[in-house]
Amino acid sequence: MKNKLSKAHEKYLKRLRKDKAIVIFWRIALLACFLGIWQLLADTHVIDPFFFSSPSRIATTLVNLFATGNLWLHIWTSLYKTILGFVIAIVLGLIIAIALWWSDRLRKILEPYLIILNSLPKIALGPMIIFWVGSGTSATVVMSVLICIVITIISMLNAFISCDKDKILLMKSMHANKFQILFKLVLPNALPEFVSVLKINVGMSWVGTVMGEYLSSKAGLGYLINYGSQMLKLDIVMTSIFLLCLLASGMNLLVSLLEKRQQK
Amino acid sequence: MEKFLEFQDVTYFYQTKESEIHALNKMSFNVEEFQFASLVGPSGCGKTTILSLTAGLLQASEGKILLQNKAIAKNDSRIGYMFQRDHLFEWRSIWQNITLGLELQKMNKDPKKLALAEQLLKKYDLYSFKNKKPHQLSGGMRQRVALIRTLVLEPALLLLDEPFSALDFQTRLKVCDDVYDIIKSEKKTALLVTHDISEAISMSDRIIILTQRPATVKTMLDLNLEGASPLEKREDKDFGKHFEMIWRNLSTDEKQTIKSP
Ligand SMILES: Nc1ncnc2c1ncn2[C@@H]1O[C@H](COP(=O)(O)OP(=O)(O)OP(=O)(O)O)[C@@H](O)[C@H]1O
Ligand SMILES: [Mg+2]
Repeated sequence: MKNKLSKAHEKYLKRLRKDKAIVIFWRIALLACFLGIWQLLADTHVIDPFFFSSPSRIATTLVNLFATGNLWLHIWTSLYKTILGFVIAIVLGLIIAIALWWSDRLRKILEPYLIILNSLPKIALGPMIIFWVGSGTSATVVMSVLICIVITIISMLNAFISCDKDKILLMKSMHANKFQILFKLVLPNALPEFVSVLKINVGMSWVGTVMGEYLSSKAGLGYLINYGSQMLKLDIVMTSIFLLCLLASGMNLLVSLLEKRQQK
Repeated sequence: MEKFLEFQDVTYFYQTKESEIHALNKMSFNVEEFQFASLVGPSGCGKTTILSLTAGLLQASEGKILLQNKAIAKNDSRIGYMFQRDHLFEWRSIWQNITLGLELQKMNKDPKKLALAEQLLKKYDLYSFKNKKPHQLSGGMRQRVALIRTLVLEPALLLLDEPFSALDFQTRLKVCDDVYDIIKSEKKTALLVTHDISEAISMSDRIIILTQRPATVKTMLDLNLEGASPLEKREDKDFGKHFEMIWRNLSTDEKQTIKSP
């Protein structure tokens, strides 16, 4: 009987593995098709490779850029600024969200401003930021922080506030003080929300970095895109976009690993 | 017998933006030591309010609440509260859940308390689940864990707010028996809120029947059914008689409110 059951289970696992293999196969197939068709259209000049580039041109550009030695500098500059903006926004946003959870009055006072800040396109502040903190690294980081922090505060505050009232009552019935309610209930309870905020902010912080670099920079992938488009070296633009994709996915992967660990 | 818990003309108002809600009106009743008492009444009449007041989570607008002849304090350690849902913390293991109260009161290094926690887990068949997470347990087991979490703090009085209502009927009968057994063998006084008349009769030594809101005590009923467990007590010949009496009391109350708009 038991043997039979485990056989059924084995079958089930086999099917799961097969399903996974099929999904991965199609993912790769789709990418290959996309690249292949792109290359074909460019080679046959159905699309102009000067404007649309092509996988082979991107590969060549990549090799050339690496060879001149500058590409590492550009990658590192952008990555450094993005991670810095990301971390500052998360830490600061979390602290502010906790403060707003702690004090009902403070929250009520600041609520309308938070809503205004949230709806303001932060990019509009770009030119001002350069006047305030100067051009270069700090302007880009400030841009990243501005873009990420408001959503961090709002999402985390919502997660804190939506904590089950009865659970808080339970804590109180066991004589918990406010610190204990925060650290033993409200914060751990908001962990899933925190992970999703991290994921959103990976994308957002890259938006901030690229925007900041468009505005003013001497290095970085945003700079490279700007430079490439002005010099009409569109292969460089496409290559930079490709690298951005790679870096952002890498950061996303790290967050996913964190999420998996948390779920255990 | 001596009065253990005593409500003396307790009145309570909730304040809301729209109005003042008169929840309790001059409530007076008492529960004796080691008694299992139940509160039954129409829904929304103020039963949870009574428990919250007893737990010191709310302060009475008027009147006095005495436990062992002393007024209830804000963080009274003589009282344990068990809620309708188990409210186990999913990110904590069973062991971490039952020692939550000890942790909050800085007693989680106290070997005597930890020994009690272990002993309770063993006694009520949960020891092998010590390191499991709550979602790996059945509804009935979770409710037992919630009870142990309360008992570890060694309260003299246990407040139970419809602790079985989230369970299906079969489980409910079993968990009733379990909880009854635990409370009796740990020698606790208990005050249970329930919607279920049979449940009240099968578990209680005293039943306090409440009126519509603002709640007052309509009648009180002392029971002495034969049987060692709630399930056995359901077989008692007087069970039906008591059921009818309580049911009549509750339903006449509903009729009155239907008449008066
Ligand atoms: N925090 C609150 N603010 C305002 N009114 C409240 C509050 N809590 C309860 N009430 C009101 O007070 C009355 C009594 O509520 P309570 O929860 O004590 O009733 P209950 O008998 O436990 O009801 P149920 O049978 O639904 O559990 C209800 O009319 C309810 O709407
Ligand atoms: Mg209630």
